[in-house]
Amino acid sequence: MDRVAELLEELKTIARNPKESVEIALRDTGKKGVGCFPIYAPEELIYAAGAIPFGMWGGPIKGNLSDRYLQTFCCSVMKANTEQALLKQYDILSAVLMTTFCDTLKCVMENWKVASPQLNIIPIVYPQNRKTPSGIQFFQEELTRVKKELEEKLNCRISESDIQRSIDFYDEYREKMNQYMEVVRGYPDTIDAVTRHLIIKASYFMDKKNYIQKMDELISELRKRQIETTGREKRIILSGLMAEPEELLRIFDENGFHVIGDDLAQESRQFREEGPSEGTWQSRMAKRIAQQDGCAFLYDAEKTRGHLLIQMKERYQADAIVLIQMKFCDPEEFDYPILKKELGEANTPLLYLEIEQQMDSPEQIRTRIQSFAEMLA
Amino acid sequence: MYLGIDIGSSSSKAVLLDVQGQIKGSAVVNVGTGSTGPKKVLDSVIQQAGIHIHDIRKTVVTGYGRMTYQDADKQITEISCHAKGVVYLVKNARTIIDVGGQDAKVIRLDQTGSVENFVMNDKCAAGTGRFLEVMARVLDCQVNELSHLAEKGHEGVSISSTCTVFAESEMISQLATGKPIEDIALGAHRSIAQRIVGLANRIGVSEEVVMTGGVALNESVVNAIEKEIGLPVVRVENPQVVGALGAALFARDLEK
Repeated sequence: MDRVAELLEELKTIARNPKESVEIALRDTGKKGVGCFPIYAPEELIYAAGAIPFGMWGGPIKGNLSDRYLQTFCCSVMKANTEQALLKQYDILSAVLMTTFCDTLKCVMENWKVASPQLNIIPIVYPQNRKTPSGIQFFQEELTRVKKELEEKLNCRISESDIQRSIDFYDEYREKMNQYMEVVRGYPDTIDAVTRHLIIKASYFMDKKNYIQKMDELISELRKRQIETTGREKRIILSGLMAEPEELLRIFDENGFHVIGDDLAQESRQFREEGPSEGTWQSRMAKRIAQQDGCAFLYDAEKTRGHLLIQMKERYQADAIVLIQMKFCDPEEFDYPILKKELGEANTPLLYLEIEQQMDSPEQIRTRIQSFAEMLA
Repeated sequence: MYLGIDIGSSSSKAVLLDVQGQIKGSAVVNVGTGSTGPKKVLDSVIQQAGIHIHDIRKTVVTGYGRMTYQDADKQITEISCHAKGVVYLVKNARTIIDVGGQDAKVIRLDQTGSVENFVMNDKCAAGTGRFLEVMARVLDCQVNELSHLAEKGHEGVSISSTCTVFAESEMISQLATGKPIEDIALGAHRSIAQRIVGLANRIGVSEEVVMTGGVALNESVVNAIEKEIGLPVVRVENPQVVGALGAALFARDLEK
């Protein structure tokens, strides 16, 4: 097995086994762990506290414990997270940072505090008007409060210089990920849709320092290789909250699609926006969120997502956009009619797929994806 | 001979074409994927055409059960096959409404007859043939008697189009209050039509509109859809085998 294959296998194993990977990371580093709800949890503060932030993006788990707290119209990510919390699988974490990007997240937080008090829930509220001076000021104050709560829950002190260093480190991580996104386009056979996703996902269950080292090596090893001339002729951009389960991406691979880029909250939206390198730590973090556009979870008066997708399609010479709608993810659902209209006007083929993280039978999805492939052929 | 076989969720369909594209056999068996349906329907068309299985030069399989059928040269989705079959029968078709046993799909075609866009129902069986089966059970009649029953209705009662299970409960409640079963049948047909048209509106409807699939055999549903969309709906002969016809045409193309 060559070094690229070894690195890919290692990172895929980490992504496919979140609980074991988190336990290994905690054991190997001796650090504390803090769970982070999607999407833009301020991981920099956690890292500055000497702890490791871990992503909480649901999973394939099914069960009915979560029914005590969640209605049928809650998304499968929230159901999986709640199920895992009630099964005490998150008890290895020292705290959980809970974001408030949708109605379910806003409402379920208090239930989590009651159901799992040992998880030390820390809420964070993002401003609707995140670009205005008052919105930025609000968010700076919110970040300061979260820092204080983290200090209490983790029993530590976080200095300003710790946070500045952590933000610099996260800028490095974001830069590395953007390099990966660029490089990976040249190797669609070695890094197919499933692998591409799992490599990004692994970052949620590792110490980022360790992850960056591996990504650095992977990128440099890939660059030594000849660009792959693939038979995957249909180039697509994925957009939405996330592209899971793995089976979904496997169907794209089987039908000869090449994922040339993404606008997924779990993937590129995490790192495509690099923040300012100067200023107080609060302003650097708040302004990065203020700059981020084209995301259903951040209020965008200009509705730039459709324009951004059309630009991406042109830049990467993609054939189509695939909108992956997590069932009951209301912020994403509200964007769809606007996107459909804008992409239609731009004559951009669009495939709309409604998914759940726990799909028993992907056959309907298979028919849609294969039909789309036949349509584009 | 070229064989197109469409293995659906609740029925299997097959069409045999000769080199000139003439239909030499077509059959429907009312059991679908995972059953003896595919074999039975194959035997039936072979017998009809009076040929031997070795006379079949190419086979294309489509439908929900296409991934598990081993004897085809190629598998193609029912979206593409319905489009191919409909355009062969109705040259100027622009919208296809296909409603089968457990799924409903609407396909938009461009001027060349190629698929431009499509939409399918979700996991829910509302707006599909399954809804009609549930309805027939509640009204204590056969599925093929439903349309005739609805034609006799004067004032359709309101029935939910959101969910088959809710609709069933509502129909039972309406029966309990003494509403005539003809009016309930009429209401239920309107309900399924509203659901199908809701799906169609997501990608837009333009003339000519063609309806295929088993539900196209139900005249009351077709009439209700026409009223909802304000356009005439073309019904082809043997609407159940259009997907299999498209598959057979694709099989013929394999040798071109």
